[in-house]
Amino acid sequence: MVAKDAALRTRDRVAKTVLYVVLALGLLAVAGPFVWMALSSAKPEREIRQVPPTWWPETFTLDNFRELFSRLDFPLYFFNSALVATLVTAGNLLFCSLVGYALAKLRYPGRRVLFLAVLGMLMVPGMVTFVPQFVLVSNMGLTNTYTGLILPFLVGPFGVFLMRQFLLSIPDDLIEAARVDGAGEFRIFWRVVLPLCRPALATLGILTFLGSWNNFLWPLVVATTEDKYTLPVALALYSVGQNRINYGLLLSGAVVVVLPVLIVFLLLQRHFLRGIATTGIK
Amino acid sequence: MRSRRLAAAAGIVLAASVALAGCGRDSGGGQEEAKSVGAGKASGDITVWAMGTEGEKLAEFAKEFSTENPDAKVSVTAVPWDAAHQKIASAIAAKQTPDVSMIGTTWQGEFAKTGALDPTPSDLIKKDDFFPGAWDTTIVDSTSYGVPWYVETRLIYYRKDMAAKAGFPGGPKTWDDLKAMAKGMKEKAGAKWGLNLQPGKTGSWQSVMPFAWSNGADVASADKLSFDTPEMTEALAYYQSFYKEGLSPTALPDGSLEPGFVKGEIGAFISGPWHMGIVEDQGGAGFKDKYAVAQMPTKKSSTSFIGGSNLAVFKDAKNRAGGWKFVQWLSKPEVQVKWYQAVKDLPSVQSAWNDPTLTGDTLLTAFGQQLKSAKAPPAITTWEQIAAAFDLEVEKLCKQNADPAATAKAIQQQASAIGTGS
Amino acid sequence: MTGASPATAPARPAGATSTDRPAGSVRRRQRLRRALTGWAFSAPFTVLFLVFMALPVVASLVMSFTDLRSTDLRNPLAVNVVGIDNYTRLFSDDLFLRSSVNTLVFVVVGVPLTMVLALAAATALNSGLVRFRALFRVGFYLPVVTSIVAIAVVWRFLLDPEIGLVNNLLRLVGIDGPSWLFDTRLALPSLIVMAAWRNFGFLMVIFLAGLQAVPADLYEAATLDGATRWQQFRNVTLPMLRPTLLFGGVITGIGYLQLFEEPFVMTQGGPLSSTLSVSFHIYNQFGFGNYGYAAAASYVLFLAIVALSVVQFRLLGERN
Repeated sequence: MVAKDAALRTRDRVAKTVLYVVLALGLLAVAGPFVWMALSSAKPEREIRQVPPTWWPETFTLDNFRELFSRLDFPLYFFNSALVATLVTAGNLLFCSLVGYALAKLRYPGRRVLFLAVLGMLMVPGMVTFVPQFVLVSNMGLTNTYTGLILPFLVGPFGVFLMRQFLLSIPDDLIEAARVDGAGEFRIFWRVVLPLCRPALATLGILTFLGSWNNFLWPLVVATTEDKYTLPVALALYSVGQNRINYGLLLSGAVVVVLPVLIVFLLLQRHFLRGIATTGIK
Repeated sequence: MRSRRLAAAAGIVLAASVALAGCGRDSGGGQEEAKSVGAGKASGDITVWAMGTEGEKLAEFAKEFSTENPDAKVSVTAVPWDAAHQKIASAIAAKQTPDVSMIGTTWQGEFAKTGALDPTPSDLIKKDDFFPGAWDTTIVDSTSYGVPWYVETRLIYYRKDMAAKAGFPGGPKTWDDLKAMAKGMKEKAGAKWGLNLQPGKTGSWQSVMPFAWSNGADVASADKLSFDTPEMTEALAYYQSFYKEGLSPTALPDGSLEPGFVKGEIGAFISGPWHMGIVEDQGGAGFKDKYAVAQMPTKKSSTSFIGGSNLAVFKDAKNRAGGWKFVQWLSKPEVQVKWYQAVKDLPSVQSAWNDPTLTGDTLLTAFGQQLKSAKAPPAITTWEQIAAAFDLEVEKLCKQNADPAATAKAIQQQASAIGTGS
Repeated sequence: MTGASPATAPARPAGATSTDRPAGSVRRRQRLRRALTGWAFSAPFTVLFLVFMALPVVASLVMSFTDLRSTDLRNPLAVNVVGIDNYTRLFSDDLFLRSSVNTLVFVVVGVPLTMVLALAAATALNSGLVRFRALFRVGFYLPVVTSIVAIAVVWRFLLDPEIGLVNNLLRLVGIDGPSWLFDTRLALPSLIVMAAWRNFGFLMVIFLAGLQAVPADLYEAATLDGATRWQQFRNVTLPMLRPTLLFGGVITGIGYLQLFEEPFVMTQGGPLSSTLSVSFHIYNQFGFGNYGYAAAASYVLFLAIVALSVVQFRLLGERN
């Protein structure tokens, strides 16, 4: 008995080591470009264009960032991006979980049609609705306003689909029990269901924030003056010319754009860990 | 309030979709008459869109205009090149255009055909001031819809030391020279590639067409496309021969042209004025003396491609007169020279080239010389689509050794199917 | 409105008949209440959805039956209705057909590859024996947040025939590596690997969220029954993860059918159209100003996406 246990333990340890090695190699392959991006943003333009490229900067310089910040009204664009992304994310979290809950757990006429419409919308290639969407928003008088930047993205089919699929896997008993206790539907949603959704909400939050933060074409077209530009739009101004790309500005700009998202991700990723254990059901 | 607006907008889109079923296109209007603008100083707000460096620097630059025209205020919005076409197209669709916008020369046909651009008033802008090739890019259906702002053209960049070893210390003058120089650079000067030419892919027509034009091929007039000519075929065969003889690479990774040129692996290439800055930057101190630029080699003529950007005023402009006056100001020779000093854009106005700022630089004067005869494709709405088909056939020509005559025929066939859009 | 739909079967109360009056009216009131509750939850979404998404879809659908070009933008009503001309023209468009084949290959190979990678990573990170879990989770997710431009630069360097890392590694074992992105047969496979690499982190995060929702006592019970890790994975994890897997498969399929960014930054559709995707072709058509034609191509792509999703719903089984 004891010998068997020991053998098992050794096998476990070997398996663990193999797993670590594989994961570490994977990490190297996957995070490599990101690391290169960060390191290269501290190289002069000539070194970035050098063939073969260098990993560690031969000449370390912060000129790219200095130039970026001197040419860019960074606080303004950062504020615009943050405002838009935050409100869009908040809207998606609230509205998509509401309707996702209804679609997964409530029975009411029309929900199948609604779900099919959501699925259908998810499958429409984005390019095709762009011009009609813009004409609509401009007819509503919303060009060059924050509302015009935010409103069309306040809900999205992706979020609904995600929340519905996630909520399907939450046991009905819990909701049933709360109903028996006499709780109203909204109270059940808010107090019982939403806390259980934390991993899904964290996922949706990150993805929505990322999508909104990186959105380029819509803010570019809707914002007709520079004071409503978002960060990616403003950055694109300086890095890509008609015949020439300034890689130094491009990469330092990419770092500047990625950092906030990374921070949001680092903050939220803890929530993936908190699954069932902290939420009351065992 | 908002909900009523919402409902109204929804109604508009729906009504539009329904109404669409019943409507048809009214076939072609006639030639448009340009309205005059009148004299006097500009006034009011003038909104301007500009891309890239131009967008970044124009606001500061325009302050002088406001000094000369105290009642006018120029507001510049910088637009990234990446999606400028989409932004302008969307603005036209929603009738939310600025007063003035910078416009890529190859977009001119498309935007003019929407009816969104205002014909150029001849009382303000004089055609003869500009390089003829540049002025032609503004012409759609015999009417000018804009003004060339700055120009560029393509020349042969070559390494002086290697050209000397190859037996062409003064650079190539003719088609035979260019071929012999490329060969010599490879065999005598240690270059891996004698001449880099674009083997297809977006924009390769800008490298091929100079050879076709220099051979007397006139591929497109406003209403007729003729790619399938002996002159075109000969130019294609010449272009292809560089690949057949192993003088040009078919698979040069992005970004390795300039380092290759600096290291002497690539002896020569074709490009526009922006490459002066890039290679001097890459080559470091002293590289400026190691290379030179030559005119397009002559066959029947030496004719290169002219590019750049135009300025156009929109019909939906709130300040049409102000917009045109600003455009006129930017076209003054002395302003064009100052603009060159500010952002290195080559002047589209011929007399600006007499300024010592430009005449002092031998590389620059080579560009100025070539610009006098450089050509552009006609401003037809479908040019970008035809060019894409052209690029794909050129790729087959360079990489798959397609027959030049068959290539010319294939281009013609696709171009006829696409049409000129008029 | 997408209002009352007879498709929804009444909920739980089975076998009830309307003979018993008071109970019937109670039930009717209940049903009304349920409908009200359901729509109260759905209303904010539905309103925004109808205005900002459904409406533009209708407009673009109408557009696909006209010869609208960018030159008509100021006057979109003055176009000709051409019926299904745009749609029939697509199937004699060589480039469209070529791009369809490319896209299909990309999806058929790419989706399973990405899902397996993502599931493997998620399971490994959720297996409880992993230290540095947060580090790996963040690391694997990095490509998703990294700008596509940086990714393109690095991958072009990796795949460079002369100086690239991949070919230098191959050279170590005596293989003369090909010029990946310049070879008509290898360019698309290269992009598939790149896409899987770039996107599996995204799915991993979603799968992780799904794995977290599997009740721990199920595993405890399985362990007590003497199930091996593999058996646990097959009999507990996979069935419990079904909605999440379905979601992942559908989302990835939808995304991959719209393949655009990878060829856009890496190959521009080349060499010789070997990496031209349907979305790229559509993008080009919009760029050329052929709005009606591009819209028609978009809706053909839409139908393909729907078809793929239906297949996946069938395969991964949704009993609802």
